[in-house]
Formats: sequence, structure tokens, C-alpha cells
Amino acid sequence: MNHDAIDELLAAYVLRSLSGPDAHEADLLLSDHVPTCASCRATLDAFQAVASDLTLDADPIAPPETLLPRLHRELEPRSRRWVGGRAGAVAAGVVVAVAGFAGLGGFVLGQNGGTPADGSAADLAAALEFAKEHDAATSDLGPVTAWEAPGVEEFYITGTEIPQPPTGSVYRLWLLSGSQATYLGDFRPYADGTVILHIQVDPTRADGLLVTVEPEGSTPSQPGAPVWSSAA
Amino acid sequence: MVPTGASARTWLVRENDLDDLELHRRLRGGDRDAFDALYRRYAGSAYGLAFRLLGQQLLAQDVVHDAFLALWRAPEAYDPARGPFRTFFLSLVHHRAVDTIRREERLRKRTEKAANLEPVHDEDVAEGVIDEAHLVVRRREVREALADLPPDQRQVLDMAYFGGMTQAAIAEQLKIPLGTVKTRTLAAMRKLRKALEEDE
Repeated sequence: MNHDAIDELLAAYVLRSLSGPDAHEADLLLSDHVPTCASCRATLDAFQAVASDLTLDADPIAPPETLLPRLHRELEPRSRRWVGGRAGAVAAGVVVAVAGFAGLGGFVLGQNGGTPADGSAADLAAALEFAKEHDAATSDLGPVTAWEAPGVEEFYITGTEIPQPPTGSVYRLWLLSGSQATYLGDFRPYADGTVILHIQVDPTRADGLLVTVEPEGSTPSQPGAPVWSSAA
Repeated sequence: MVPTGASARTWLVRENDLDDLELHRRLRGGDRDAFDALYRRYAGSAYGLAFRLLGQQLLAQDVVHDAFLALWRAPEAYDPARGPFRTFFLSLVHHRAVDTIRREERLRKRTEKAANLEPVHDEDVAEGVIDEAHLVVRRREVREALADLPPDQRQVLDMAYFGGMTQAAIAEQLKIPLGTVKTRTLAAMRKLRKALEEDE
């Protein structure tokens, strides 16, 4: 591919107007060629700067006065955010949103105790809505299924008939990236064995996911005994 | 501020950028006042951009809401080495607006309206906001550069960026080959690059 053809892809990429085979080709280009080609990196940077300037063609408009109060109501205290536990190994932007904190219902991540008996239906409905809205594809992760869609920086994990962890233990979810494992949170299945996790992390940032069994309330310093793992 | 990457592009150092860096640093610590300050700085630009793409106030409001909420939840997503905060945040808004357009096919007609070369006016839209002085200048430069584009290049650029359309959809709508859309888009981007780099 010559550089004019590459530049065509990069121009469309920064405008977010690629689709189909061109989008796939751009992905390969950006991962394989651009990092090692100074000319393409310069072009990409310049086109991104142009795209940034294009925002100025839209006149600023004061948003409704209700928007900031609405945001204030939804800002979780920072202490409730589920960010990786090892500060030195935390991938940028890795956050897990816990169904329940975001109004999705009863799934418990990182909290001790039981789960609401009627919560799984609401969470499952949210997961199905996500799958429908984004035309999400599924991939098997051991006994659970991941639901994700290209360009969508969140995904779901669902499972049924998942056994409860041993008494005094919880399942612990980790994000794998290279040689690093980033702690995401603890969970238990619902009483009926259903697992529904809503994870606000770009799945393309992860090489895989790992679930371990850990003593309840223990510090997530490093992964313990693995239960299952797979590519995200 | 100079990014440290191998393909570093030197960004102009502006007082606002430095203020943004400090606000972002505080935001990472969970400072709600910093969140409010960033909101006051960027809500107008974000809402204007989202409305330009979506042509509907409620959807634009949702996009801006989601973008600010994402910023609160994952402030680490912004890497100061990659450029000004403004670029990062408005890119985030643009991405979410495009996702919304593509998710809701029923928006297509409004999208075409938003992609029109004429500015969108809506009597119900809240009043405009006053920009920083350097943005007023830059906005004029950008609009002059856009006005200098040949109409066919301007058209595909608008349909892609402000219409949220894929190149394949643009080709279908304009009934021209996909290759022509690609050629016109690249020509437009190269001309804008040249014009806007000269203006910096």
C-alpha cells in the first residue's frame, strides 16, 4: 500500500467515517505500520489536529441549566469507583461500573453479603438492551459469555449456573494486559447462579480477563488461584 | 506543553491549557469543584458540537452528559502528553455523538440537516456562549479554511464529520464511487492541514 492510500485511510479514520474492510485495514495499519513509520505518524497527528480544529466550526451553545444539577446527582463519590488496586499497574482509564451503582440493579461487586433475589432479571434486561442496542457479538470466556461491540467502550459478562465460591470466599475479576493484572472487583453469583457484570472498560485495552477465588475482604495485591481466564 | 511521544507535535502553550492541566490533576483526586470548572469551560463547546451533529437538543444533552460523566469516572483516559484537554474532550463528545447517530437510524433525516453546508438554526436552542479570545481567532481561521475548499470536498467532509456518516454511506447518498469520496476527503484534509498549520 502506498502512502497516498494510507493517507486516505488515516484521513477517514480521524473523521470516524470508516466502515467495513476499510476499518479493518485501518486497524491493522495503526497497529502494525504507523507506530514504525515517522511519516505516517506525522500525518496522523496532523489530521487529528485538523479534526480537533473542525470542532470550532460548531458554535458553542449554552446547555440547559438542568444539565449540571443532573450530573451532580450522578457523580459517585470517588471512593466508590472501582479502579485497579495496584497503583503501579493500573491501566489508564480502567474503571468498572457496578450494576447497582449505575442504576442497573442488584449485582454486587466488591461488597460483602448477599444479592437481591429479584435483581438478576433487571440486570439481565439491561445486558440484553446493551446487546440489542449495539448489535453486540458474543465470545466465550470459559463458563461465561462476553458481550461486546466494536467501538463501544464497555461490555457485559453474563453466565448461568455459576457455582457459589467457597464459604468465606469471593470471585475476583482481573483485567490482563501484557504481564499486568489489574484488579477490577469482587463478585458472587446471584442465588440462582446468574452472573451479570457491566464493565465500563474498553475491551480492546485488555488482552484477557482472569477470575480468581480469594478470601472475602482480602487485599487484592496479586491474583490468587485462577478459576477461569480467556481473551477478552 | 510538548508531548513526549516519538511523533510529537508541538502544541502552543496557552494559559488555558495550563489551567486545564491543573483542573485535570485535581479531577483525578475526585475534586468536584474541578469538575464544575471544567464543565463551565467546555459544556458550551461540547453542547454546540453535539447539537451540530445530532440536530436535537435532548440527544445532544445526553451526549454531553455522558461525556462529562465518563470524564468523572475515568479521568485517567486523558493523557496530557497527547495534546490539550480541549482536543481530548471534544473528540470524546464527537465520538459519542457519532455513535448516537449510527445507533439511531431514525435520526438520519436530522443528520442530513446537520451535515448541510448552511449553519443549523433552532429557535429553541439556548443562547450562545462567549468563547475565549484565542478560540474566536482560531474559529475564524478554520471557517476561512473550510470556505476555501472546493464545494465537492467540503460536502464529503461535512457529511463525514458533522453528519457522522461513513464513507460508504456518503458514496451511496451522493451516488458517486467510494473511491471518489476517499479522494475528495483526503484532498480536503490535506488542504485544511496546510492552511491551518500556516495559520498557527
